[in-house]
Amino acid sequence: MSDSQDGTRTIKVDYLARVEGEGAMYLRIRDQVLEDVKLKIFEPPRFFEALLRGRDFCEAPDITSRICGICPVAYQMSAIHAMEDLCGVRVEGALRELRRLFYCGEWISSHTLHIYMLHAPDFLGYPSAVEMAKDHPEAVERGLALKKVGNDIMNLVGGREIHPVNAKVGGFYRAPTRSELAALREKLLHARELALETVEWTGTLDFPKFQQDYTFVALRHGNEYPMNEGRIVSNRGLNIPVSAYDDHFEEQHVDYTNALHCVMKPEGSSYHVGPMARYALNFDQLPSDIQDAAKAAGLGPVCTNPFQSMSVRAVEVLYAVDEALRIIDAYAPPEESSIIVEPKAGTGYAATEAPRGLLFHRYTLDDEGIIKDANIVPPTSQNQKMIEDDLRSFVSTCLDKTDDEIQYLSEQAIRNYDPCISCATHFLKLEIDRG
Amino acid sequence: MTTTHTLIIGIGNRYRGDDAFGCLVIDELTGRLPSGVHSIEHDGEPAALMDCWQGAQKVVLIDAVSSGAQAGKVFHFDLAQQSLPEQFSLYSTHAFGVPQAIELARALKKLPPEIVFIGVEGECFDAGEALSTPLLKVKEAVIAEVLNSLPQKNSSHA
Repeated sequence: MSDSQDGTRTIKVDYLARVEGEGAMYLRIRDQVLEDVKLKIFEPPRFFEALLRGRDFCEAPDITSRICGICPVAYQMSAIHAMEDLCGVRVEGALRELRRLFYCGEWISSHTLHIYMLHAPDFLGYPSAVEMAKDHPEAVERGLALKKVGNDIMNLVGGREIHPVNAKVGGFYRAPTRSELAALREKLLHARELALETVEWTGTLDFPKFQQDYTFVALRHGNEYPMNEGRIVSNRGLNIPVSAYDDHFEEQHVDYTNALHCVMKPEGSSYHVGPMARYALNFDQLPSDIQDAAKAAGLGPVCTNPFQSMSVRAVEVLYAVDEALRIIDAYAPPEESSIIVEPKAGTGYAATEAPRGLLFHRYTLDDEGIIKDANIVPPTSQNQKMIEDDLRSFVSTCLDKTDDEIQYLSEQAIRNYDPCISCATHFLKLEIDRG
Repeated sequence: MTTTHTLIIGIGNRYRGDDAFGCLVIDELTGRLPSGVHSIEHDGEPAALMDCWQGAQKVVLIDAVSSGAQAGKVFHFDLAQQSLPEQFSLYSTHAFGVPQAIELARALKKLPPEIVFIGVEGECFDAGEALSTPLLKVKEAVIAEVLNSLPQKNSSHA
């Protein structure tokens, strides 16, 4: 929508496409100056934190996994690790490796969906993956085949693909046998070829030239590319244990959105979580052949062009396939599928790396293990202010374009983050106001 | 799935009111299907959906829909010949649901030779709710329609 009689243009998108959940975008441009940017999340609040209160601590993984159909493993893992942190338990050995394998499945499935079905049409000039598939069937079939391998891992380790049921505080209800995991090996070997082709393919795409000076925030473990654990670090010197999250980050209510905006204290500044942050802060943890594949696709050790996040996701898919193969080849089933975790009163913290970025959980229990308080901070909430900052910088470079062109480019800029509005609900219509 | 002649797929979520319709129809078909006919319940995830019907000669999809029509209204689509209206599947993952799976399969030439869709307009998709009265009233008719469309042979269930 546009009204240029007094030099003001309003561009709004009532429902953002190819994102999860319901959100809108509003831009107001006056006299060729971008005056206002709002990312509005109008999907209703879901009150998960409230409904967790009064429930047993062992119920948190299954309840929170219902927050998202794309990244249920992330919710389960953050909940489980927070409870184990609270109860003073560490799960090691084969069970730890199985959790990592489980997460590999989710990264492969979620990233591949975004790369091929949601993001690629933006750079090949199609309105959707269906239209793209008519001209690029080989690419879409590659994406579907890769996604299926991710689903297969989640199915085997988690009991089913969507909202898995096998993970629990202390481990799993059932650990897979060595032969069950070995059956995935051939599929993963083929998936490795497809993943490498995906990295190479994303390197051939023409991304908009746009750079941002991001504050990247991600986990860093030190011995491995982060998934389930690590310290929270940034490229500005932050290096804290997960338990100190609340000292450095804050959720703020913003009146035009149902999602809380997360900012860094004390300045209230935006920050960036997700694949680009993980990659920038953990490039040294990637095997050298994957580093080489990233370089060949046009990526340096740090990527600051959010449109190029598609290549970073492809690198993470390649890593996840490699890591899954490593875990399967070394797997020796645990003697017990879980260890006993006794509840105790206190507060526990965990952050894991969901496909879209850092997912923080905090729980307070009483001595019977009943949840008294819960706080969940999903990646899209953390990126929301950053997405607005990207739009502010990016749209300012293309104000000479038509409203339709600005709208298209703005939606692309939002999709760079693979935002999950349902998770954040605490998201997209586009509205540009030129007066 | 390589040799199934006919596959009946009930799509839905048992815990979301009328969205359970397809799953409940599959329950009722158990033990009543002729040989060569299999039935499965499916959550509608597009990649998995496209994968599960590979090799099938005929597929029957049963799903609850939300188009604004009167609750209990039954829709029929010959998907080999026509597309599914997109408004039939607002409740999808990343705006990628059953209609997109059908069209993606069509673009990739992976639609079964025969594929029909039976949709029933839902009334309530709230979590934890039972099937609404209008859908309860049409369930038997949909089951009978599916059974009558099948060749009558020995029973089997996948």
